[in-house]
Amino acid sequence: MSLDTVKPSPGFLEHLPIEYRDLVEHGPYGQQKKVTDLGKFKELGEEHPMCAGCAMSLFIRLVFLGLPKPEHTVIVGTAGCGRLAISQGNVPFVYGNYGDTNAVATGIKRGLELRFPEQDKDVVVMCGDGGLVDIGFQGLMHSWFRHEKFTTILLDNEVYGNTGGQESGMTQKGQIMKMSPRGKKDDKMDMMGLAKVAKLDYVARITPTNPSRVVRTVKRAIHVAREFGSTYVQAYTSCNIEYSIPTPDVMQDAFDMEKERYGFEEIISDRAKAYLDEIEKKKKKK
Amino acid sequence: MSNLNAQEEGKAADWVPAGDLQEEVSLEKMLELPRETIFMTGSEAARESIRRANVDMAIAYPITPQSETMQQVGYLYDEGYIKDYYRAEEEIGTMSAICGASRAGVRSLTATSGPGLMRGLEAISSWPGARTPIVMLDMCRVINTPLAIQPDNIEISFLLDTGMLVLHGENQQDFYDYPLAAFMASEQVDVTLPCTVCVDGFFVTHARGNVSMIDKKYKLPPRDGWRSAVPAMDNENPPARLSRDAPIQKSNFISYHMHAAWQQEVFAAVERSAKYFDKYLGGLIEVVNPGADTMIIASGAAVSQAREAVRQEGEKGNSVGLIKVKTIRPWPKKQIIDAAKHAKTILVPEFNHAGWLHKDVCATLYGKCEAAIYNGPRVFGGMTMPTEMILDWLTEIREKKQSGNFFVTA
Amino acid sequence: MLVQENLHLIRSATDGGGGQQFLYKVNQYGISAISRPQEEISQIHWDVEVIKYHETETIKFDICRNTELAEKTLIFYNDTALNEFLEKAFDYFKELGLLEGMMTKEKGA
Repeated sequence: MSLDTVKPSPGFLEHLPIEYRDLVEHGPYGQQKKVTDLGKFKELGEEHPMCAGCAMSLFIRLVFLGLPKPEHTVIVGTAGCGRLAISQGNVPFVYGNYGDTNAVATGIKRGLELRFPEQDKDVVVMCGDGGLVDIGFQGLMHSWFRHEKFTTILLDNEVYGNTGGQESGMTQKGQIMKMSPRGKKDDKMDMMGLAKVAKLDYVARITPTNPSRVVRTVKRAIHVAREFGSTYVQAYTSCNIEYSIPTPDVMQDAFDMEKERYGFEEIISDRAKAYLDEIEKKKKKK
Repeated sequence: MSNLNAQEEGKAADWVPAGDLQEEVSLEKMLELPRETIFMTGSEAARESIRRANVDMAIAYPITPQSETMQQVGYLYDEGYIKDYYRAEEEIGTMSAICGASRAGVRSLTATSGPGLMRGLEAISSWPGARTPIVMLDMCRVINTPLAIQPDNIEISFLLDTGMLVLHGENQQDFYDYPLAAFMASEQVDVTLPCTVCVDGFFVTHARGNVSMIDKKYKLPPRDGWRSAVPAMDNENPPARLSRDAPIQKSNFISYHMHAAWQQEVFAAVERSAKYFDKYLGGLIEVVNPGADTMIIASGAAVSQAREAVRQEGEKGNSVGLIKVKTIRPWPKKQIIDAAKHAKTILVPEFNHAGWLHKDVCATLYGKCEAAIYNGPRVFGGMTMPTEMILDWLTEIREKKQSGNFFVTA
Repeated sequence: MLVQENLHLIRSATDGGGGQQFLYKVNQYGISAISRPQEEISQIHWDVEVIKYHETETIKFDICRNTELAEKTLIFYNDTALNEFLEKAFDYFKELGLLEGMMTKEKGA
């Protein structure tokens, strides 16, 4: 919540929940924290019920770290594994209906812009490939073509993890999964290509192999969305359960995948590039 | 708050949104202001209501017969009476986005018709639990196959148990008055619920009727997003998380209790809205010829036909009563019992096959009066209900020839 | 706004198809003007008939096609045109009333 409007009197500060005080005094509320500081401060998302070794939970932890202004951010999600961790975070979270994320985010973002024209309020959609690319496809596409001013982060585990391992639009061709007993017939959907067609100002594909890069990418996506319109981050967040990746090998799988077919890619429009150069230079000067 | 994109969308730098020039007055005050009567369509009446409603955001997807109204709302946006407006991708997108807008704390409007309502129903039925004040205009039309655009209000039956407030307007005048009442009631702290204002498509939207309204220089006070049972999700409040988070989905008894309590609270809020509608609409029901042995109970356009039947019976020297039900939810149970308990015969004319109003009337009057409650007359699929149809039923009942099934409450 | 003079009754069109019927009355004669719902709003118009009321107190009438005002259903696309017609019709009915009165007197004499 806003640090300006909810400012406790010093005498009452000690009565606030310790988690909140920690977030303000040592955590990322009102101050930017670095990846190298992880473990030294109260994080936005710490406890979650995700499976042991889940790459998605690591990625979500890094997204929380990357939020430029967590105290002014709303996250919108939907059914799927991701929301189990996101809903435990210290950022307001809308757990919507199936496939409604990008429409809900549109309404929230526009509403907040009307009420707080002088205050940046970030809206971030973060959910899985089933929720966004399959059932949420129409809303996703239209929010992109309308250039709504929020960031969409796709947690791509290439499967319906939460419902127990059915193939999704983002599953690789030929993959045998539940509901594709003879192997998936069609190609993985080219969401990067669609993002380009929609002329998004910032598009990135990433794996959680380099934490600093994840944080930087999320920050860039959110900053560009504030200024210009929709941005998209597509992250490989493997499902070690449904793809039978032994827990100790989860990170190796991410590195392998990055090398094979999920390499880091950033597509930035000219105006977004100029804007990012400016704010990133400013930061360095500081 | 003002139009954010005005300059980008071609307005001059010194353009002043028309809404900024309006004077804020409470609805109570509005009801006392002098009115002018204009003969206009229901779509225009709704537009004039919205012009005075201080709406922040309107989102809709076109569908006959709703489009006529929502494109007029677009002109209101162009004039600066509404701050943000767009044509959404379809109804799931519409109903989800308007819910997002309401969560952000702005006054939110949408509208739809028949098949559009059905398409958006997943989102719509989640609004009450999210405690989002939204006004949805619903211009009823056929939903069944074969596809048709004709009036038929079967779709209202799908809204009855969602936890929404549901008003059913009779004519163009109601389509001006009800949305204003809907905004004010739905945004009360002890209500904080969405409200649908239903009218029968074409009969109201695409036909002209007399509408008396106040000067357009007045508007309602704005929505205060923090004055809500569940405050706006704007990061300026400690978040109210119960309805909005996943943990409630867990399979344990605490979760079940939370969910049950949350639902009870929604339906209790529906009941609490009654006192506001009572004030804003001059009662939840209207009664013509109270005390008559034969009473007609109706809502929507069927009321107009019933009025004429009552008038013609009066010419013949027969006193027939009429109860117009304005609020379907909150359901005016006590008022209907008081107005109908003496009756010997009750007719419930409806423009739908299911007879949803008849069912509620029977359930309400069971054990409370000795009337035979006739299951009709009823038309559907866009069929018309001539006054003669009601008069014929009344004659047949008097002559004991009406064999149509009826429900005896005693 | 339509002429209010001689306006006898406004009611929901009795055929049940929606719309409003305005009934005007001057002596035994009158005008019925109905505005019905249309699929396209631009098609909304007035269907106008000259009518003759029955002798009784109740509102019962026949469509009257043997006056000089109309020998078929008249259609008006705006209120101004209808109002002009109404004024003309009222004058006509008044004259007709005088004439009919004179004829009754002649018969009586």
